[in-house]
Amino acid sequence: MDNSPQLLLQTRRHFFRDCAIGLGSIALATLLERDGYLTAGPAPFVNPLAPKKPHFPAKAKRVIYLFMAGGPSQLELFDYKPKLLALDGQPIPESFTKGKRFAFMDSFTKDGFKCLGSRRKFARHGQAGTWVSECLPHIARIVDEIAVIRSVATNVFNHAPAKFFMNTGSPQFGRPSMGAWVTYGIGSESQNLPGFVVLQSGPRGPRGGAPLWGSGFLPTAYQGVPFRTTGEPILNLTSPRGITPGRQKEVLDALRDLNTERLTETGDPEIATRIASYEMAYRMQTSAPELIDISGETKQTLEMYGAEPGKVSFANNCLLARRLVERGVRFVQLYHTDWDHHGGQGANLRDSLDKVCKEVDQPCAALIRDLKARGLLEETLVIWGGEFGRTPMGEVRNVGGRDIGRNHHIDAFTMWLAGGGIKPGINLGQTDELGFAPVEDRVHVHDLHATILHLLGLDHLKLTYRFQGRDFRLTDVHGEVVTKLLA
Amino acid sequence: MKAPLALLFALLLLAAPLSAAEPPDYLRDIKPILTKHCYSCHGPEKQRSNLRLDTVAGALKGGDTGPAIVPGKSSESRLIKAVTGTDDLIPQMPPKGDRLSAEQVALLRAWIDAGAKAPAGEVAEAAPAKSTHWAFRPPVRPPVPPVKNIAWVRNPIDHFILARLEKEGIAPSPEADRVTLIRRLSLDLLGLPPTPEEVDAFLADTRPDAYERLVDRLLASPHYGERWGRHWLDLARYADSNGYSIDGPRSIWPYRDWVINALNADMPFDQFVIEQIAGDLLPNATTSQKVATGFHRNTQINQEGGIDPEQFRVEAIVDRVNTTGAVFLGLTIGCCQCHDHKFDPFTQREYYQLFAFFNNADEPTLELPTPEQQRQRNKVQAEIAAVEQMLKVLDTTTPEKVDEWENSLTAELRKQLPKEVQAVLEVPENGRTARQKQVLVEAYRKMDQARYLTGLFGTPSPLAASAYVNTALARTRLEKRLTGLKRSMPAVATTMIMQERQTPRPTHVMLGGDFTRKGVQVFPGVPAVLHPLTTADPNPQSAIRNSQSPNRLDLAKWLVDPANPLTARVTVNRFWQHYFGLGLVETENDFGTQGTPPSHPELLDWLATEFIAPSFPAGERVGVRGWSMKAMHRLIVTSATYRQSSKARPDLATLDPRNRLLARQARLRLEAEFVRDVALAASGLLNRTIGGPSVFPPQPEGIYRFTQIDKQWKASTGPDRYRRGMYTYFWRSAPHPALIVFDAPDANSTCTRRNRSNTPLQALTLLNDQGFFEFAVGLAARVLNEVRPGEVSPRREPGGNLDEERLRYAFRLCLARSPSASELDRLGRLLARQRAEFETDPEAARELVPDGMAPSADVKQLAAWTAVARVLLNLDEFITRE
Repeated sequence: MDNSPQLLLQTRRHFFRDCAIGLGSIALATLLERDGYLTAGPAPFVNPLAPKKPHFPAKAKRVIYLFMAGGPSQLELFDYKPKLLALDGQPIPESFTKGKRFAFMDSFTKDGFKCLGSRRKFARHGQAGTWVSECLPHIARIVDEIAVIRSVATNVFNHAPAKFFMNTGSPQFGRPSMGAWVTYGIGSESQNLPGFVVLQSGPRGPRGGAPLWGSGFLPTAYQGVPFRTTGEPILNLTSPRGITPGRQKEVLDALRDLNTERLTETGDPEIATRIASYEMAYRMQTSAPELIDISGETKQTLEMYGAEPGKVSFANNCLLARRLVERGVRFVQLYHTDWDHHGGQGANLRDSLDKVCKEVDQPCAALIRDLKARGLLEETLVIWGGEFGRTPMGEVRNVGGRDIGRNHHIDAFTMWLAGGGIKPGINLGQTDELGFAPVEDRVHVHDLHATILHLLGLDHLKLTYRFQGRDFRLTDVHGEVVTKLLA
Repeated sequence: MKAPLALLFALLLLAAPLSAAEPPDYLRDIKPILTKHCYSCHGPEKQRSNLRLDTVAGALKGGDTGPAIVPGKSSESRLIKAVTGTDDLIPQMPPKGDRLSAEQVALLRAWIDAGAKAPAGEVAEAAPAKSTHWAFRPPVRPPVPPVKNIAWVRNPIDHFILARLEKEGIAPSPEADRVTLIRRLSLDLLGLPPTPEEVDAFLADTRPDAYERLVDRLLASPHYGERWGRHWLDLARYADSNGYSIDGPRSIWPYRDWVINALNADMPFDQFVIEQIAGDLLPNATTSQKVATGFHRNTQINQEGGIDPEQFRVEAIVDRVNTTGAVFLGLTIGCCQCHDHKFDPFTQREYYQLFAFFNNADEPTLELPTPEQQRQRNKVQAEIAAVEQMLKVLDTTTPEKVDEWENSLTAELRKQLPKEVQAVLEVPENGRTARQKQVLVEAYRKMDQARYLTGLFGTPSPLAASAYVNTALARTRLEKRLTGLKRSMPAVATTMIMQERQTPRPTHVMLGGDFTRKGVQVFPGVPAVLHPLTTADPNPQSAIRNSQSPNRLDLAKWLVDPANPLTARVTVNRFWQHYFGLGLVETENDFGTQGTPPSHPELLDWLATEFIAPSFPAGERVGVRGWSMKAMHRLIVTSATYRQSSKARPDLATLDPRNRLLARQARLRLEAEFVRDVALAASGLLNRTIGGPSVFPPQPEGIYRFTQIDKQWKASTGPDRYRRGMYTYFWRSAPHPALIVFDAPDANSTCTRRNRSNTPLQALTLLNDQGFFEFAVGLAARVLNEVRPGEVSPRREPGGNLDEERLRYAFRLCLARSPSASELDRLGRLLARQRAEFETDPEAARELVPDGMAPSADVKQLAAWTAVARVLLNLDEFITRE
């Protein structure tokens, strides 16, 4: 099978130092040694998720990525543009659109480029005087903990490709996701849970689906594992009727011994991965139900998040994210749908936007506060944002014109970061008067990726994987660390 | 604006007298502007949007958005609109670099307004030469290279592999043992493990060609069509639902069965392709040939409300073009939907020429009644016609009466009508469908009857009332009868097919891939860099044929034209990939310039030419028709290369870590469906029925939490519960989790290579999934049942103890080989411990046996053996082809 030579070339010392994955493995190691595998030099077996040293000391040890699927409107939330309101309903002045990339804007030509001013009230908050609209009152109160970037730019303007781009640095299906790159680079500190966990909330799963957290050409051990937040957190987590944990363990022990015998016989490292998978599966059987059971959290904590045990919600997922990083999980990604406010029934910038803001605002703020109170924020990088933003020009999808919305916009949109070595309470980047394009400190997705890896102690130029004759990176051939964001 | 200042100045000087009277001179004034600003994208090297501006003729001809200039009318000329940024369709040109100055624009305008005169005999520069990329040149049969270790070689494949290994100084691996070989062959050719009897028979067969005989037996098995049919269905993106967010059910399983049958019959690959791409266009197309066109009906259908159907019709065709490119040509032709290919010599216009082939089909559903069903249908249909005739006689309803009634309805009355009727009344009269009109007629009739029967709306004369009541009652009886008859109409299988339209649809380039932005019209055609389309055969008998342009049948024949440099290579490469894990060309879906070059180019070409025109072994196979898939499988699996051991070799770990040189075989985890199949086969529960509607094996609760629409999934309880994995009903939006967890493709687009992941979720599935647990109980029951105390059986080794015999038997059912002493010992210890467990907890043993699986006399015994079975069914080796 397709295994990286790196896996094969682990030394015995590394095996014992870094790969404590249970007694079974030690027994296995002894066996391998007896059979001359370990003493012969290259050990065939290593837990691919064992923690690894980063390239340089890391500021952040783990990541919580709050993915706002669909593309939130920065103009309703963070990017205050009084001029846009002044020009509301008028064609956008040519000076703004001149010389801009037009590929995507063509869908407007039938109606013309008409400015749409935000109906939302904005105010400055915190010591940094960060502009936040009335839509996000809770986040407004934590602005001194976060760094707001109003000048993020991406390359692609359809949902699934743009989500791939934000997650993998490529609009194409099948490249490794950020969480996979990170666990590939530095492993995970959790012995009982996957290194990369994905949670979902909102009316449906994100467009693009499983490849968003896939491992692409990296070994599959690094792919994200979706957790369900009610019932069985993971399908088939519960042993069959009549099988107690003890009986399950006996089966697993025999299985491990027979798999190990085959490993020594064939030398296929894929068997070692399978042994590790079974050990992880067994540990997950107890750790995952414990993890998702939030009933033991204090009333105060539950209320702070707005979480309710037994419910599927973004609030519950934020609380679970904290519980996951507490347990050493390296990369937690939350997807919340649906921010795709084009206008029309259920997708307008009035009540539809209110609904989704209400779902995320309080839990986001609670997560930051909770992490801080527990001393976790310092080493936990929190990322908030969608796959792109929305246009300063309006889009009207119904006859009356009341249910206004905005189209997809890739030139400038807002994300925020917190904790994990991010300079708190800053505003980075500015857009022009209409919020069309950055005029200062443009941060491209590749730059964001380089910065995230940097905070985790990884040089984005060095975190590579050779595939089809080429060294691949999360940042492709681009990306610069945004030093202004670093604390 | 540094360098051009001088030029600008010169132009300004020139411009003054020009405006007076004399029109600009093309060569002196115009061509330099175009050369400087336009040629890099619209010249001899590149023709973005298929536009060339290096000659006046080129500008007049124009590109995808039409002519660039209209002589005499500068304000209508797209060239002027483009350079001034006033065009609706395209951004201001040039997109990068300096814009044209007002003076330059004035010059262009003046020249166009003066008639856009061109110099005599202006000739375009020669276009760049045709691509020299290896994959675009036809394969040439290479000589079989000599090798030193000739004794190792079994067929020409081995010459190519060994020659390269010898060059690198690497020795091939020894042949795998015979038990491994029969299991490998059975899994590769049938997707099922060999039975212990089959293993014994093979071991006992000492004839020199025992292996080849085994291969022939397996290739003749009807399960071969299932195994290789599943590979093909990945390419065909086969699924049982419509996809997108609604994802309603569909019936297209007869296409799946067509694939299985075609492979079992060893339908030659060229015919196999032609029937799937254009079976409906073959002369006197048979039902089977029509069913085959389901290949391109496996596209998704969006059932959401409020969509533009044209958008999704176009998306389906885009998928057909991209799939055709990937599956047959191994090309990333899909890149050209929006722009010319960045790396390969394909233009966006050529993309839409391919699109045009598929743009002319309707997408109907074909009914497939059996002869008996057809007889029954005719009978019922005749009865229905009779009843309908009687109803007609009794009907007093006339369109005028319905009209009158509708007009008499007050707003208040309307509100009391059923929602459906109200909805129809909202529709303007001239816009109603037949169905909607029928709703109104029915509503009127009910109203009318109610009026008489209840007397609520005034009392008619008693006589009239009585007559009416009788009529109404008769009607009611007949209507009941009609409903009954319709219900008794036998439901017949249906499938989705392609059917060429009488009137072709025009096809345009879609600018930026957007179906609302139409560029120039194009006609069916193939990429210029590949071999030409031959339409010499005018297909006089073809059902429909536009004399102007080639159709899908021509395209199908072009795909399998022996001159096609790609189809044979791409196909044999995928065969190879299934046997060795990676293709000779690793990028199996990209044979273009960005793909990886083949590891053994000569072998690839040898196999491709052999596929088209077999020559091996010379003599006995002369005259054998080309394109036989079974012949290619036979060739590959009888090679010494294939027969090598898959054991890892320390020397290769550094010399060839990815096993590209094939100094050994590969251990390959089975694909999702076959993980299920081997477990079913070992347990003895397998239902070997081939084909038919898809089935519903058990699956965990709550699969549909993240889909828009809840799906029907009532787990089968009968024999359908134990069908092969490829028959599991496939909902695109939420496939069976055991399939997805083992990397089954999502069927949303063509899949040319599956991932082979190895995750804790797979462990949980095999350990705890209800289905797999049932297989374990089944295996335990089978072993207890088939190896009985005191019985003499060929399966039993004489004199052994019963537990040990049972363990051996179970082991061989799962892995074909016999256990080692330590394996036997380890399983024995587990058995003993589990026996002790259930001895003290018999209640757990009873609980453990799933409902409906009749427990044998001793449930404690069954429970303990189930533990052993679970270990075996979870072994890495069990789900791996070694």
